[in-house]
Amino acid sequence: MSDKNNKIPFNEDNYTHNINRNNERKLDRRGFMKTLVGAAGVFAISSLPWGTLAAKELTGLSDKKYPKQKITDVKSIAVGDAVDFAFPGEHDSAILIRLSENKYVAYQNACTHLRCPVFWNKNEEEMICPCHHGKFNVQTGEPIAGPPRRPLPEIQVKIENGAIYAVRVKRYEA
Amino acid sequence: MKHKYRNVVLLLAVLMLNIIFTQYMVHQYFFEHYKNSLIAAIINVGLFPIAFIIYKNDKKGVSTNE
Ligand code: FES
Repeated sequence: MSDKNNKIPFNEDNYTHNINRNNERKLDRRGFMKTLVGAAGVFAISSLPWGTLAAKELTGLSDKKYPKQKITDVKSIAVGDAVDFAFPGEHDSAILIRLSENKYVAYQNACTHLRCPVFWNKNEEEMICPCHHGKFNVQTGEPIAGPPRRPLPEIQVKIENGAIYAVRVKRYEA
Repeated sequence: MKHKYRNVVLLLAVLMLNIIFTQYMVHQYFFEHYKNSLIAAIINVGLFPIAFIIYKNDKKGVSTNE
């Protein structure tokens, strides 16, 4: 190679003497593989937070136990009536409905469409969202009309000594 | 030529598994099947060393070949 370079004139193919195209394709392949390994790394790292959250959930660290909260007295809510309250936080508005003598249901009443407060329509026995006329089944919290697609989160209630308590928010079940 | 791309195909398979398990992990998380979610996350993390080993082995294989 080197002795060729000192001869004048060069051979035609000498113009590319310093361009080494060997292994070029192999490098491409290697680079591609490197990218793939990198992508696998990104997947691995992005799995970490999900894994941690899931583990946390499993060990019960974030199983929030809210102190039970008194909503109202049994005496002050007639059958078919509803009261508003807030549970578990003071900004998580919720609604308690007395369906019959012994049946109470409670939901967090932020509409699952755009979080307008849902209210209880006694005459039609439905929960209605005033914003876009979403309707919810009062027994289950399932959406039955309008834009909402997810049920309202249900709140478990307990009756003790003539008072109604909110105990916990039921987990969302898909 | 054929087995030159074997490792690439293997890596692509690993990546495909990554995608599958990531999706599974996220869905199981929202369905509150945290155990499944955790298992998928561990598999996902474990796939990275596998991918790396495939890459490393490939380097050795090629340099002795040509
Ligand atoms: S916010 Fe309730 S229907 Fe749109």
